[in-house]
This record gives sequence, structure tokens and C-alpha cells, in this order.
Amino acid sequence: MTTESSPREASLEYLLKRIPEQMERLKAVRETCLTDAVLLGEIPSPTFGEEDRIRLALDRFRENGLNDPEIDEFGNASGILPGTEGGSSILVTAHADSVFSAETPHVLNVGPDSITGPGIADNAIGLAAVVGLPRLLEHLGVQLKDDLLLLANVQSLGRGNLEGTRAFLETKQCPIRAGVCVEGATQGRLSYSGLGTLRGEITLRIPSNYDWEGFGAAGAISHLTRFVNQLMEIPIPKEPKTKMIFGGLRCGSTFNTSPRRGSLRFEITSEDDNILNDMEKQVSELCEQFSLETGTSVGLEVVAKRENCGIPFTHPLVKTTRAIMHESGITPNVDPSTGDLNVLIRAGHPGVTVGLTTAENLREENETIHLGPLFGGLAQLITLLQAIDQGFCE
Amino acid sequence: MKTVKKQTWLERNTFHHGEFWDIIKLVKEKEKKGMKISLCIPTLNEEKTIGKEVLILRSELMERYPLIDEFAVIDSGSQDKTLEVAGNYGADVYLASDILPEVGDKRGKGENLWKAIHQLKGDIICYVDADISNIHPRFVYGLVAPLIRREEIHYVKAFYDRPLNYSSGLRSSGGGRVTEILIRPLFSLFYPELTNVIQPLSGEYAARREVLEAIPFPIGYGVETSHLLDLYEKFGLDAFAQTDLDRRVHRNQTTNALGKMSFGILQTFFNRLHAQGKIDQMPEMETFYRRFEVEDGIYSQLAQEVVEEERPPMIEIEGYRNRSDS
Repeated sequence: MTTESSPREASLEYLLKRIPEQMERLKAVRETCLTDAVLLGEIPSPTFGEEDRIRLALDRFRENGLNDPEIDEFGNASGILPGTEGGSSILVTAHADSVFSAETPHVLNVGPDSITGPGIADNAIGLAAVVGLPRLLEHLGVQLKDDLLLLANVQSLGRGNLEGTRAFLETKQCPIRAGVCVEGATQGRLSYSGLGTLRGEITLRIPSNYDWEGFGAAGAISHLTRFVNQLMEIPIPKEPKTKMIFGGLRCGSTFNTSPRRGSLRFEITSEDDNILNDMEKQVSELCEQFSLETGTSVGLEVVAKRENCGIPFTHPLVKTTRAIMHESGITPNVDPSTGDLNVLIRAGHPGVTVGLTTAENLREENETIHLGPLFGGLAQLITLLQAIDQGFCE
Repeated sequence: MKTVKKQTWLERNTFHHGEFWDIIKLVKEKEKKGMKISLCIPTLNEEKTIGKEVLILRSELMERYPLIDEFAVIDSGSQDKTLEVAGNYGADVYLASDILPEVGDKRGKGENLWKAIHQLKGDIICYVDADISNIHPRFVYGLVAPLIRREEIHYVKAFYDRPLNYSSGLRSSGGGRVTEILIRPLFSLFYPELTNVIQPLSGEYAARREVLEAIPFPIGYGVETSHLLDLYEKFGLDAFAQTDLDRRVHRNQTTNALGKMSFGILQTFFNRLHAQGKIDQMPEMETFYRRFEVEDGIYSQLAQEVVEEERPPMIEIEGYRNRSDS
């Protein structure tokens, strides 16, 4: 028995079949993409200090022929590649900020099949793919019906709390059909949901009138250690999945002086917003209790908080993305996002986050991307845009 | 007063790369004048930095903006992956020994620079060292732009804020140690006008073919110094310009290595002083650089031969004069 494909499926099949050819043809423009990644990546771009990198992204938008290239009042750079029909847009965005401070030497080393340096994976190569998309599409002879709205967004990481994309979506008045967030790493990641997240910083201070002779008196390091132990006593459910991470501890600077101040950075993620709220309450109460019992001053600052959101696994956008990954030789790895996808979906736009290549030493100064898998990652992105454009993701 | 002329030259012939940011405009001016520009990177075991230099300069200045017409890496026989990496990112790669084989092969950066005159076809040749960690297109357009814009300028040198790359991070070095304690005192004594050149030893410069082919090339440490002295003698200070390229991050060299380098430069310098009649008599100069080493409390002297051989002006080479494209 012969099964006949509908014209729609046949067309998606056609796109999928062209992926190997696209991967091959993209090799011819490898240098352009890598050069953008190195030039962008060598400009320090800590969260809240992205201006210089954004300026280069804007120059690239302009040089690559986008309409209305601009930096908005929040610091995001954007531009539009007009489609043949227009009317609706596909948003492609990459965050321009990096976890590295401006003082970190941003020197990238280019090897025969890898690039190494701070922030190359997260997210210089992702940003380079977005700013270079017009040239990649032109090289492949791909013309979309939809407008392509390209965004280099700021204030995504840490205390930035996704404010750049949030502000952009709140103010940009254009119909967005779907969005794709581009991350350098890791290839295979498939995010179609935003994970409920609470990021906080706990600061412990020892007041000037502290009784150093009192029972249990100690410096900030000892107190923080006890506090961390008490935090770890908070029950964390396995279902719905919930996780607490201690990401940073700062306290003291000498060998022989008890510090009077210290801070702890942590993140709680959960698939259930109620659990997140409940844990926030427990952490807050613990701070108060600890302060009263020890005579210290312990305060919680919520740096970022996001609720769960997402589109279903069976959503055509997710389904099509999976099919494209398979055809590109990429094994999908479902990975809920704590990044800009969260804002996109909460704003009512279907979206996914994809990774371009494989990487090592993420968020270390010797962060490394591999160049071989990059063509598959780029072909995946471009085919996904074509699929959205042709209506296979709705 | 002499200082008036210095200031005038400094004002007129000192640029900042930011003045030339509009590369499209430069490309148009270059094309209008019918100029061709070649870029040469001399290499010896530079696998760590050559990939990025070729990638960025080729992509930005040949593909995005066609300012450079030809881009070659000329190698002295690297033992590491320099040639493979450079070729992988699209550079034309040559072994210096394969160029003008009839004149033989000498080992040194100056040899590669000299042979580039024969190998490359440009009216302007721009040389960029291979060890720049923070390479950027400004390292090329900042140097060739004054030559495109101003016909009376023949030779453009780079200067920078040069931090040295130590394991503990970057530290500022002023003008460079050899510049400050050797070259500047020598220039102040014998060629005071040349003290206007802020970094006489910088490895990045661009020049017109007609001046490059007319001067000899020391093959070792003295090549930058000899260029300045010979061109100053022939054309005066007005033939020079210099461009501020901001920061250049490069490897730190040991004091011993700088001592050897100074020894080579001094040979070139004294030879010029004698040839230009600035000193009457000069004894036979030693070619061994001597320094001390101490091990287990015992001092011993090390002697290393440093011979500053020179290549004659390229225009005197028959193979060059008979080039098919000349």
C-alpha cells in the first residue's frame, strides 16, 4: 500500500531533505560567521554594560541590509529583514550579555577546529549567527515571506532578569508569529518551556553592637556556613521537579580577621509555581529566624523571579523542530529554559530555544566551541525559520 | 626652533585609526586611484595566533570590504601547525625558501618581508606581525589609509598602547623596553627628527612598493630600524606617517631576548652611521652577543652569534626586475 503525503507534509519533507545540502553550502560562509563571533566576543559585555557589543551588532545589522536598524531605549539592537509578503514577523533573538566582567581579558583563540575564550559559547557565537542571518540566507538563496525581526537583546543574565527582551516585546508593536532564541551551546538543546525560577542573594551582616562574647558568637563565615546548612534542611520535592543551586559565596579577605559581612547567591527552579512561592517564603522566614537567634542581620533580596510557562511537546513548532534536528544529525535534549524564551512565551508567542554547537568549559575563561558541528546548528536554525515561514509550526 | 617643525609633522602625519572607520570610502578611493594592496604576515611557529589574524583580516578586508587585494602568509619553516591553520582559514601560504630560490634562503623575519616584495603584486604592501592577540581590521586599514589618501606619504608605522601579556594579566609597557632604553637615546643622539616616530620598532607598517624595493633589508632584528634610517636618508621625515592603533596585546619577551635583539639592532645602526658618514671610522664589530648565566652559584659566560646579514634592495635582483607582472 502506498501512503501519499499531503502537499503540506511533502513540502516539509522537501525542506528536511535539503538540510545536508545546506550544511555543505554554509561551509563557504564559515569565515563570516566566525569573524563576527570573534569581533563581538572580544568586546566585554557584562550584564548592564553591553553598549559596545550592541553597537557592533547594530553596525552589522546595518551592513547586512536590515530595515530600521536601531538601538531602543533599553539598549537592545534590532532590525528587520523584510519578507516577500510581510504582514507578520518571525523573531530571532540572542542575548548580548555575558557572565564575564569587563576586567576579564576578552581574548579569543582561533584554532583549526575550535574557538576558545570567555563567552564564545554563551553567547558570542549565538549573537553572531543572529546578526549574520541575512548574509547566510542570501548565500543559500532563501527568501522568507514573513519579515524576519532580528534582536540582540541586553540584560538577560543574572540580575538582568530578562528585562531586555521583556521591554522589547512590550514596546515593539508588530505581530510576531513565533520566536526562536539562539544560544551558542549546546547543540541538541530543545527548550519549549520556561522553567519557574527564583534567584536570590542572601546577605549576612554582623552589626556593630554584636556581642562577641555571647554564646555561639562567630564571624560571618561561620554564620553563613550554619545558614547554608539550615537552607539545605528545607525539603525539596522530587515531583514536581525542583532544584536548589548555591551559585556563589563571598565572604572574608584575610587569614586572621573574622569578616563581618558575607553573601550567598542561590537559584531555585521548579516545575510548580506554588512550590517556588512556598520555598521563597521558607527562605525568607529562615532569614528572619536566623537573624533573631544569632544577633546577626540576614536579608533576602530576590534578584529574579519567573513563573513556569511553555508550549506543549506536541505543539507543531516543537514537533517540527525535533524533525529538523533529527535530519540535521542532532539528538534533541529537552531542556527547560531559564532564559529569554520564558519572556517570549509569557508574552503569548510560541517559541523555542536552540543551541548551535557543542562546547566545553561553559562559563569558564577557557570556554570552547567546536566548529565542526556548527554547520548542522546553523542549518537547523535556517530550516526552522523556513518551516515557520511556510506554516508548518502552527 | 626645531620643535616647531616636529609639532607640524606630528600634527600633520600622526593619525588615529578612528579617522579611517569608513572602510567603504577607503575602498572607493583606492579603486579610483587604481591601487592594489597586498597584506603580508611573516610567520615562524605562530599557530596560536595566526588563525585569528587570517580569519578576521581576510573576512573583513577582502570579503566584506575589498580593501585588500592579496593576502599572504610567508613562513620561515614553522615546525608547528602555522601553515595548516593559516591555509585552513584561507590565506595564501608560502615558504620563504620557495620564493626567489636562486638567491638562496636566509632565516629571519626580514627575509620574509623582503621576499614578499617579489611574491606580492600590490602597489602598497602592508606588514602585520603574527603574534597579535587582539587583532582587528584597524591594524591594516589604519596603516594603508594614509597611503591611499596622501601621495607624499610613503611609509606608515603603527604605534599603540602596548600592554604585555603576563600570566598574571596585562601590564602597560610604555613604548617598549628596547625602544625606550636603546632606540630613543640613539635617535636623540644621531637622528633627532626620528624621535617623532613614537614606536620605531613596531612590527606593523605599510609602504609603497617603490620605496620598499629601493632599500636593503636586514634579515634579523634590525629591519625596522634600517627602514627608518634608510628612508629618512632618502626622503626625509615627510615621507613618514604614523597611526595610533590603540591597544596591541602581544607576548612578553624575556630581558635576555631583548638584549640579543638590541645587539642585532646596534649592528644595523652602526653600519648605517658609518655608511651615512656620521662616523668616520668603525672597528670590526663582534658578532657574538655575550651574557652571563649563573647555576649553583657558578657564573658562566654564554656567547651567541647574532649576525645581521642584509639583503640588497630588491630592485637590484634580476629575478625581480624580470617578473612577468613588473
